[in-house]
Amino acid sequence: MPGIEPLRRLQWMTATVRDVIDETPRVRSLVLDVPEWPGHRAGQHVDVRLTAEDGYQAQRSYSIASASADGTLALTVERIGEGEVSPYLSGEARVGDKFELRGPIGGYFVWTPDLGGPLFLVAGGSGVVPLMAMLRQRAAAKSPAPATLLYSSRSYSDIIYRAELEKLVGQGGGLKVVHTLTRERPAGWDGLARRVDRAMLESVGYPPAEHPRIFVCGPTPLVEAAARNLRDIGHEPHLIKTERFGPTGT
Amino acid sequence: MDSFLDGNAAGSRLRELFALDVTAAEIVCDGCGATAEIGAVRDYGGAMGTVLRCAHCDTVILRLTHSPAGLWLDMRGTRRLFVATVAE
Repeated sequence: MPGIEPLRRLQWMTATVRDVIDETPRVRSLVLDVPEWPGHRAGQHVDVRLTAEDGYQAQRSYSIASASADGTLALTVERIGEGEVSPYLSGEARVGDKFELRGPIGGYFVWTPDLGGPLFLVAGGSGVVPLMAMLRQRAAAKSPAPATLLYSSRSYSDIIYRAELEKLVGQGGGLKVVHTLTRERPAGWDGLARRVDRAMLESVGYPPAEHPRIFVCGPTPLVEAAARNLRDIGHEPHLIKTERFGPTGT
Repeated sequence: MDSFLDGNAAGSRLRELFALDVTAAEIVCDGCGATAEIGAVRDYGGAMGTVLRCAHCDTVILRLTHSPAGLWLDMRGTRRLFVATVAE
């Protein structure tokens, strides 16, 4: 497992918004220039800190969406009702804006190409973000590890990264993406149309005998049900990594 | 408070104290003896600090409190912490 040398102390760094991408009506990606950014491992997160003119500070954690690169990273942020940070990041931040972040953080929910596969990724809503970082890293490294993403969204228009996922699948290389839509389906939708359940995990994923590395990220109910079902199917618990998303700020 | 996240979410708060990333370290619960990676235990984080609980028996295995004076670490519920220093 990586992360052997003592780490440098976490320092707040200045991020400048280079680009803003509307992913869905409720989700935006921010591409950031962070000159001191040392690169990261897919699945890691950052803390973002906003400071008001009166000195009040709000802090939240966000998964990194991009593959590792020096000096730049991308975050994908969903607008969550009354949050202190996400309304700014998902709605107001403009190109050229600056804010503080620190990271990369975390060594548990990470995938690097040397870990290999098969890779079975299970996402609910914006839980797809750290898993997209893994798929982008996999593509950038031309990793031969087979990978499957099972991605649950409320509706077709809520699917984040839809076009890029199609493109990645089209490039071949052993990537499969399966969508399930839980609330609304476009006319003629012939894909899955229910919540992630045991039968779906069994038919979409790899058999336990192939020892897939499994990453599940999404709302707590999805994560807990999927982790339980994956264990029941016979996947080894230490190969199942989960990340619930929710408010984590101070 | 009933809501919790995975221990992975405590990564930056633990990095305030530990010189290594401990989210991938193994921790043994003193309550039930279960072994888990810190990233997989339950994080009841809040403004007051971090409270990690065993996912099996709910024992509090780590408390990290930030005060204006400094950091308080209480690991009474931890029997052992193992950090790998060689690659997997």
